[in-house]
Amino acid sequence: MLELLRQYVTDYVALTDEEFSLLASKIIVRNFDKHVRLIQPGEVERYMNFVVRGLVRTYFYKGRTEVVTVLAKERELISASASFLSGEPSNYFIETLEHTILLSMTREDLEEVYRLSPRVERLGRLMTTQFVLIKEEWEHEYMRLDTRERFIRFVEKNSGLVQRVPQKYLASYLNMKPETFSRLKHLLKKRPVQGR
Amino acid sequence: MTDSIASYKAALEGLHRYLSRYVPLSKQEFGHLLPYIEIREFDKKVKVIDQGEIERYLNVIAWGLVRKYLPVRNREITVQLASEGHIIHSELSFHYRTPSGSVIETIEPTVFFSISYDSLQELYDLVPKAERMGRLLISDLYVRKDNRYFDQLLKSTRERFLQYVRTHPQMVQRVPQKYIASYLNIKPETFSRLKHLMRPGRR
Repeated sequence: MLELLRQYVTDYVALTDEEFSLLASKIIVRNFDKHVRLIQPGEVERYMNFVVRGLVRTYFYKGRTEVVTVLAKERELISASASFLSGEPSNYFIETLEHTILLSMTREDLEEVYRLSPRVERLGRLMTTQFVLIKEEWEHEYMRLDTRERFIRFVEKNSGLVQRVPQKYLASYLNMKPETFSRLKHLLKKRPVQGR
Repeated sequence: MTDSIASYKAALEGLHRYLSRYVPLSKQEFGHLLPYIEIREFDKKVKVIDQGEIERYLNVIAWGLVRKYLPVRNREITVQLASEGHIIHSELSFHYRTPSGSVIETIEPTVFFSISYDSLQELYDLVPKAERMGRLLISDLYVRKDNRYFDQLLKSTRERFLQYVRTHPQMVQRVPQKYIASYLNIKPETFSRLKHLMRPGRR
């Protein structure tokens, strides 16, 4: 499990064995059944999580409608990040969609590791930058692409998720009606996509 | 545009205070950052970066007024309005080294304190406190981005309008109405209609 995390962080910063051990010493393994809620609005996020196995979604309610904002699978980070970073209450729910194993670290522990290791702090800076960029990119695509283009783009990037995530959540994530999503699915047959 | 030494001094002191919110910096430590900073001046209505160009800089506004927008078909969607002390740049292009999808254009004559991509990497390598400062500054940016996203989605047009005019009264005076309307995702006609809410006694 830790090996998976090591591969992931190496894309940002090549940590020495010692530095990685320091990081690993603070990690706890958390196991969740499917459809378990990890956090809800009003609670402060305690953990930054790395998905080793499973699938998790982040969402909130707009009126009575659920709006899915993140779908995180293996080798991705998931957290109510704004709450984790600010210490303010979360605006979001996070819920597992499958049996999920997370490698988790509390904010206090992470900050302690930052104090001890400048290179882990660099890792923190780069990953936080990545959060900002993902948000920015999502926002740009949302404004620039029409429904059909968003659908195609998503499927190209996340072909594995189309099989795993209930259609209503995918539709919500892409901000389209479930009917529209169903209709667009015919595009999948014409454009074969590779599995993960 | 002011260009006296006193104005630069005041703007640099503002920058020092801004950065010290994240990591306290002595005068001397702040002085270590200065060689990395370039001063860039622009007239009003100048494109600082255009679509397709690679963003080389992270800019803090010393003085002036700037907007960032996305050209979408035949519209311009304003995504940021920034004045003194704010950071503005085409961040996806800056970090990924890819052509910019957004345009950054001055509204008023503007002076930037800018740091280039290469200088920033050097700064992170050579100045020990920079790493923490960068991390905390970016965290703060993320939190504010998330809050704005949430407000856009959950608040009504009227709430978005009132929140903006209350928290940015000086921007309402300086920024052309159509840009604020676009930033708040409110139709210009609706924006005009909501303006009566700004009169004293109506808040």
